[in-house]
Amino acid sequence: MTDLLARMARDRIFYLFVAPFAALTILFGLWPILLSIQVSFTASASALKPNPSYVGFANYASVLADPIFLASLSRTLLYTALAVVANLAFALFFAMLLDSALLKRGNLFFRLAIFLPVITPDVAGYVVWRWLYDRSFGAINAALKMLGLPAFGGLSSVDTAMLAVLIAELWHHAGFYMIIFLANLSMRDRTLEEAAHVDGATAWQRWWYVILPQLRPAIVINTVYALIQFLKTFTVVVVMTKGGPNDQTNFVSYYAYQLFDQARYGEATAMATILFAIVIAISLTAYRIGDREPARA
Amino acid sequence: MGTLRTIACAAFAAALSVLPAKAQQLTVWHDLGDNGIKWFEALSAEFAKQKPGVTVRSQSFPTDQWFGRVISALNTDTAPDLIFNNYERVIRIQNQTNKVMDLKALTAGIADKSFLSEDDMRVATYKGRQIIIPIQRVQMAFGVRKSWLDKNGGKFPETWDEVKTLAAAFRDKDPDANGQADTFGMALQAAKPRDLIHMLDLFIFGSGLRHTLIDPDGKITIDQPAHAQVLEEFLKTYSTYRFVAPDTINHSFAEMYQVIEGGRGGMFRVGDWNVRKWDGAQVLNGDFVSGPWPKFAADRPNAVVIGGMRGVAIPENSPNKALAQEFAAFMLTKAAQQASLENVGAGVRKDLDVSKLSPRSQYFAKAEHRLVAYDFPESIHAFYPELEAAFHRKLLAGIANPPADWKAFIAETAKEMRELAQKLKS
Amino acid sequence: MSPLRPNRLLQAMGYLVATVTSVLFLYPYWWMLVSAFRPTRAIMSDPLRPWPEALSFQIFSEIGRIGGVNLSTYALNSVLITSAATVLGVGVTALGAYALVRRPRAPGFSLVRYGFLVTIMYPYMLLVIPVYLVMFRLGLLGSYAGIILFLALGPLQFFLFEQFFRKIPSEVIEAALIDGASEWQILTRVVMPMAMPITATVALITFLLNWAQWFPILVISRSPDTYTLPVALLSMNSELGSNFQGIMALAVLTTLPVAALFLLAQKRVMEGMASGAVKG
Repeated sequence: MTDLLARMARDRIFYLFVAPFAALTILFGLWPILLSIQVSFTASASALKPNPSYVGFANYASVLADPIFLASLSRTLLYTALAVVANLAFALFFAMLLDSALLKRGNLFFRLAIFLPVITPDVAGYVVWRWLYDRSFGAINAALKMLGLPAFGGLSSVDTAMLAVLIAELWHHAGFYMIIFLANLSMRDRTLEEAAHVDGATAWQRWWYVILPQLRPAIVINTVYALIQFLKTFTVVVVMTKGGPNDQTNFVSYYAYQLFDQARYGEATAMATILFAIVIAISLTAYRIGDREPARA
Repeated sequence: MGTLRTIACAAFAAALSVLPAKAQQLTVWHDLGDNGIKWFEALSAEFAKQKPGVTVRSQSFPTDQWFGRVISALNTDTAPDLIFNNYERVIRIQNQTNKVMDLKALTAGIADKSFLSEDDMRVATYKGRQIIIPIQRVQMAFGVRKSWLDKNGGKFPETWDEVKTLAAAFRDKDPDANGQADTFGMALQAAKPRDLIHMLDLFIFGSGLRHTLIDPDGKITIDQPAHAQVLEEFLKTYSTYRFVAPDTINHSFAEMYQVIEGGRGGMFRVGDWNVRKWDGAQVLNGDFVSGPWPKFAADRPNAVVIGGMRGVAIPENSPNKALAQEFAAFMLTKAAQQASLENVGAGVRKDLDVSKLSPRSQYFAKAEHRLVAYDFPESIHAFYPELEAAFHRKLLAGIANPPADWKAFIAETAKEMRELAQKLKS
Repeated sequence: MSPLRPNRLLQAMGYLVATVTSVLFLYPYWWMLVSAFRPTRAIMSDPLRPWPEALSFQIFSEIGRIGGVNLSTYALNSVLITSAATVLGVGVTALGAYALVRRPRAPGFSLVRYGFLVTIMYPYMLLVIPVYLVMFRLGLLGSYAGIILFLALGPLQFFLFEQFFRKIPSEVIEAALIDGASEWQILTRVVMPMAMPITATVALITFLLNWAQWFPILVISRSPDTYTLPVALLSMNSELGSNFQGIMALAVLTTLPVAALFLLAQKRVMEGMASGAVKG
C-alpha cells in the first residue's frame, strides 16, 4: 500500500499531465453514459424527474419483445455487414490500383477525389445526395434516362433504399479506409514479391499469398473502425430517409432516437445500452481475431 | 454635507428612473421561421411602447427540435419565458413536463376578448387547465396551381372524382409545358407519423367526418364505411393512383414544400401561414387558388379544416413570469393581432383590417367558407402518440407494398389498432 | 502496329476506372455548387444542367439571416468553436497520451485509457438527454465553453499521439534522465520539439473533423446563437417552409473552407490520418 502510494507520488507529474484528459473523459464521456444506463432502468414517465422510479429490467424486456426493435436490430446488423465489406473492398481495390505502377500520372488527383468526401461535413454531403437520388427530380435518374438505362429506385423504393444509403455512406467514408490501406501498402516488403515472381507465381498468387497477408494490420484496423462506424449509422438517416421507406433504413440508433420524441426515455436508453454492448462485443471480437491470427506470410 | 445629500438624492432619483427602463428581455421559442421572427420583432416594438426598455426576442427551431428543446428545458428549469406553437403540441409538452402554467386567471383579467368563442377556449383547455392563450386560428385549405387548372377547364375541383380527374391530367398532360413528364397531381408528405396522419386528417375532416383514427370514447373509427372510403382513396393516392411523386414516402414538410415551390405538384395543402410566402415573386407568385377539401359523399358537406389553434404558453418555471404574462395578454390586442395577420397570415380577432391583404390571404382572413375543426385525440387519450406511430407504420407498409385488396387491409389495420389501443389503455 | 501489350490495356482500364470513379465522387460537389445559383424550380425540372442559367449572388443575401441569426454569426461560431476545441483538444490529448504511454502501469492509468476507448463506442446520438443533463448540472448549457469542452476529445487525435509517443526511443528519455533532467524538462526540452510536426498534423485533422460536428452542438445549444454552419444547415426548414436553393448555398459555404484547407495541406492530412491507424 505504502509502496503504491510512493509510486504514485513519484509519478505525480504524470497524474498532472493526464488529469485534464481524464476529467474530460469522465465528465463528457463516462458520466453521460452511466446516466443513460441509469435512465434505462427507470420508468419513462419519471425518468427526468428528481426522484425517478426504478423498474429493473422492464424496459429491456419490453424492448426485446418489440418486433420493430428486433427488425431494426437485424437490419442494422445486415447493413453493417454489407457496408463494412463494400467499403473495405472498394478501399482496398482503389488502394491497390493507386499503388500499382499503372497510374503514375494523375495519381494525386485520384487520391484527392476519393478522399475529399471524408473531410466534407456529412450533413452537407447527404443533403446533396438526397436530391441526387430523387426518382422524379434527381440527377441520377435523369442521367440514367438519358443513357437509356432503367430507373434507380433510390431512397423511395423499399428494395433500393438501403443500397442508396450505403452508396452515400461509402462516398463519405471509403477514402479514409483507402489511405490506411495505401499507408500499409507503402510499408510492405517488396522483395518478397520479386522473390515470388522469380519462383513463377502468377500475379493473382502474388497478391493473395504475398501482398494480402502483409495488409493484415490495415485490414484489422479498418474492420474495427468500420464496424464501430456503421453499427452507429445515424446522420445519413436523419438527413436522407427518416428511417423510411417502410422502416427499411430504420436502424437502431435512429429508432431509439425517435423514441425520445415520444418521451419513451427508458426504452430509448435501453436500446442504446443494447447497441452499446453489441458495438463493444463485435469490435473486440474483430480485434481479437485480427490480433491472434498468425501472420500467413 | 447638503450638496452631498442633494447629489445622493439626485443619483438615487436617476437610478430609480433608470430602473424600469433597465433592459429586460423576454425570450420566446417557436417554429415559424423568418416570418415568425419578423412578427415578434414587430410585437417587441409595439410592446415597448407600453413597457419601455423591454425587448422580446424570438427564436425559431424546426418543429422536432422545438419539441426536444422545450421538453428538456422545462424539465431542467432552464425554460424560456414563453413558448408558442400549435395547441396539440403544447399538450404534448404539458404531458411530458407538467410544467405549463394555467392561464385561466390571466385570461379572466383580459377585458377585450369577446372574439374568443367557447370552442376556442375548449381547444385551449387540457385536463381543466388553460394551457395557451389562443392567438392564431390555423386554417388549411385545398390548393390548386391556377395556371395548371386554367389549362384543364379552370373549374376548382369540388368532389373527389373531380380531383382524381384533375390529378391524372396534371400528371400526364405536361401542365407546365416543359416537354417532360415530371409533374404530379399532388404534393403530400409521409415520412414521419405526424406527416402522414396529418395529411389524412385533412382529407378526413375536410370531407366532413369527425375522427381520423379514434373517437373520444376510444372506439377505432377507420373501418366505418364512410371513413374506410376516404382512407382507401387516400392510400391509393400515394400508391396505385400514382398521384404523388414516388419519393413522397420519404418526404417531410421541407421536401413537400420543395415539390410545391419547385412547381412539380398541382394540388396541395395551403395553410393560412403559407400564403404570404407563396404570393412572393420568387416562389409561386400567387399562382394558386384555395378552396375546401374534396367532397367524398353527396350528403356530407366538405370544408376548410381548422387545424386548431396556435397560442402562447408560459412555463411554470419561466424566468420572468409576471412580464411574460403581460406580454401574453398583449398578444391579443388589436395592434398585436394585426401584426400577426400581416406577418403570419392569421389571428383570432374579427375586427382586423384585411384590405391590404392579397385575395389569397383574404380567403382565410374573412373565413367565409365552411370550417370544420380537428378532434384532438391527444387531449383525450394519453396513449394516442404511440397508437398513432403504430398506425403510421402500418399505413406506410401498405403504401410501400400495396395490397391487392385495400378493404381487407383496412379491416386488418382496424383490428390491429383495436388490440393495440386495448393494450396501451391497460 | 503491334497489338496492345496486355499491360497497356490494363493501364487504359486502370485509368478508365479511376477517372470514372473520381468524376462520380466529385460530381456531388459540382451539383451543389451549380444548384446554389439556380432557383428551386429550375433545379427540379432540369437537374443535370451543368451550369447555372444566370450567375446571381442574390441567394447569399437571402440567407444572410437564418432563424433570426446572421449568417456571419454562424460562420464566426464555426471558426471560433472549431479552433478553440482544436487547441484545447490537441493540448489535453497530447499531455494525456504522453502520460499514458510513459507510465502505462501507473495505478488508474489503464482505467483512463479503457474509459476513453469505451466512450468512443457509445452511440453518441443517444446521449441527447444525458449530455443535456450533465451540461445543465455543470452550468454549461447553451455556453460556448460547454460545446468546446465536449468537442475537445476525439479518438483519431488520441491514437495519433499515442502512436507517436510509443515510437520515441526509450534511450532518448533515459539519456535525459541520466543527465539529471526533470520530467517537466524532458517534456518541454526533449519531447515537445520532437512532437511539433505531429502536433501540427493532429491540429489540422482535428480542425477538419470538428468543423463537421453538428449533433453535440445542437444538443448543448440553448438558442441558434451558438450554432455552427452545419447545424444551421440542418435547421434550415421551419413550419413555414424551406428554401432549397438556400440550403444548397449554405452547403457550399459549409464545405468550401474545409475543402480549401484540405487541398492546401492534403499531404499532411492524408499521411497523418493513416499513421494514426497503422502501426509503423
